[in-house]
Amino acid sequence: MDEERVLAYVNAAAEAVGVPLDDAAARRVAVHLARTAGMAALLESMPLAESEELAEIYCPAPFPMRGNGDDWL
Amino acid sequence: MKTIEIIHAVVTGQVSAREVCDAAIARIESSDREINAFTGRTFARARAEADAIDTRRARGEVLPALAGVPYAVKNLFDIEGVTTLAGSKINRELPPAREDAVLVQKMKDAGALLVGALNMDEYAYGFTTENSHDGPTRNPRDPRRTAGGSSGGSGAAVAAKQVPIALGSDTNGSIRVPSSLCGVWGLKPTFGRLSRRGSYPFVHSIDHLGPLADSVEALALSYDAMQGPDSLDPGCHALEVQLAAPSLDDGVSRLRVGMLGGYFARNAAPAARAVAKHAAQALGASDEVEWPDAELGRAAAFIVTASEGGALHLDDLRRRAYDFEPLSVDRFIAGALQPAVWYLRAQRFRRAYRDKVNALFAKWDVLVAPATPVTAPEIGAEWIDIDGVRHPCRPSLGLLTQPVSFAGCPVVAAPLWPEGADGLPLGVQLISAPWREDLALRAAMVLQRAGIAHA
Repeated sequence: MDEERVLAYVNAAAEAVGVPLDDAAARRVAVHLARTAGMAALLESMPLAESEELAEIYCPAPFPMRGNGDDWL
Repeated sequence: MKTIEIIHAVVTGQVSAREVCDAAIARIESSDREINAFTGRTFARARAEADAIDTRRARGEVLPALAGVPYAVKNLFDIEGVTTLAGSKINRELPPAREDAVLVQKMKDAGALLVGALNMDEYAYGFTTENSHDGPTRNPRDPRRTAGGSSGGSGAAVAAKQVPIALGSDTNGSIRVPSSLCGVWGLKPTFGRLSRRGSYPFVHSIDHLGPLADSVEALALSYDAMQGPDSLDPGCHALEVQLAAPSLDDGVSRLRVGMLGGYFARNAAPAARAVAKHAAQALGASDEVEWPDAELGRAAAFIVTASEGGALHLDDLRRRAYDFEPLSVDRFIAGALQPAVWYLRAQRFRRAYRDKVNALFAKWDVLVAPATPVTAPEIGAEWIDIDGVRHPCRPSLGLLTQPVSFAGCPVVAAPLWPEGADGLPLGVQLISAPWREDLALRAAMVLQRAGIAHA
């Protein structure tokens, strides 16, 4: 994304999440976001299979082990 | 006196804990006007804890492992009766903490004396402790220079001999960077080793807590004292205590030690490469090793940090961004605006990354790399030079630490003193496989005994 498109994204996203930004602040934020966009592009360039899951997966409760008072299984 | 000497002197009665405590307080009062490490002082508490140790000794009780050792904590640790600032102006409006953080409770149980709270980058988002609310912490090795961050108060307090041990946090390098720039020992344990309960968070997915200290023995003793499972901290994965101190002197003759090249050499100035090589040779390393996907790991850590950090403070960013640290508020906002797909890809990458890093440790026990690309920059510096290439100073001080903490591996930061660096220190990372802090500490002990690394 070029500078103006990053700035447009910053203004739109800030409005979407309710962060008020004046023009000077938006331009400063855009500089940071553009730097991060470069890192995101780097990660995009690395193939990840659909089977690659998130680092941590939600667990609803510890698995009930037999003999631990969880013998209702 | 170093930590070990303090403990010995208190246990044998050569000196009282109260005398040790008062000496630390005197050093803080005489030096902190220049260093600006402390943001809060708990001297009455420290004296009461010291008196309790002296009473126990008078009764003939066996004293605990850190009896009479003064320490201080980064001001994101809860201290009973003190407001937890986390380096911010906004948190000053919060009520005082009702109880100590878990690690502070454990240090108290071990007989240590809490003398105060320490300066940091606001909400831990920085590597320089240039805090606009409390003023910058100055590096005791050269007060014109940064102490590093975000645990800069912790690094400076140990380097200035105000305390022999300080606690800090490390998300992307915030223990290792100040250890490197201030010339003290630091330990970032395995992700999930120590409880974080009662500390103010920055990035839940990557936050670690750990000690900075005057010696390897102090690192090991404080780390051991703080271990223990905590079912109430969802980020604490440890199921038992695994002491490191008993094996400190086991040496490295049977360990496979390698030196990281590639990314870790490209992003290090000559002095940083030289100290890493010196340490690696002393540990018997012969091969250069490539850390898998280091640049990608750093990118993913950067994205996860920005996204979680920004989201955590979104409500305040909406209502009162003007109360944030000017040096980091724009980064917080940028993080809050990141597309979800960036964050999710970084988290998916992290699983594959972990598997590759763990596979590396099937072949190696300890890997050596510089901790920072350069020695301490001057306070206010906007740029650092790495081999003729200009990099933005504040984010780039973590270039060499971020890939390692994102994998969750334990690291000891060892303070070395490169030639031609005007007497400034530069740390070396001693990295081991997850849950093998003992191996990194053994390597650290070899460097300390050889006089190669020292605080």
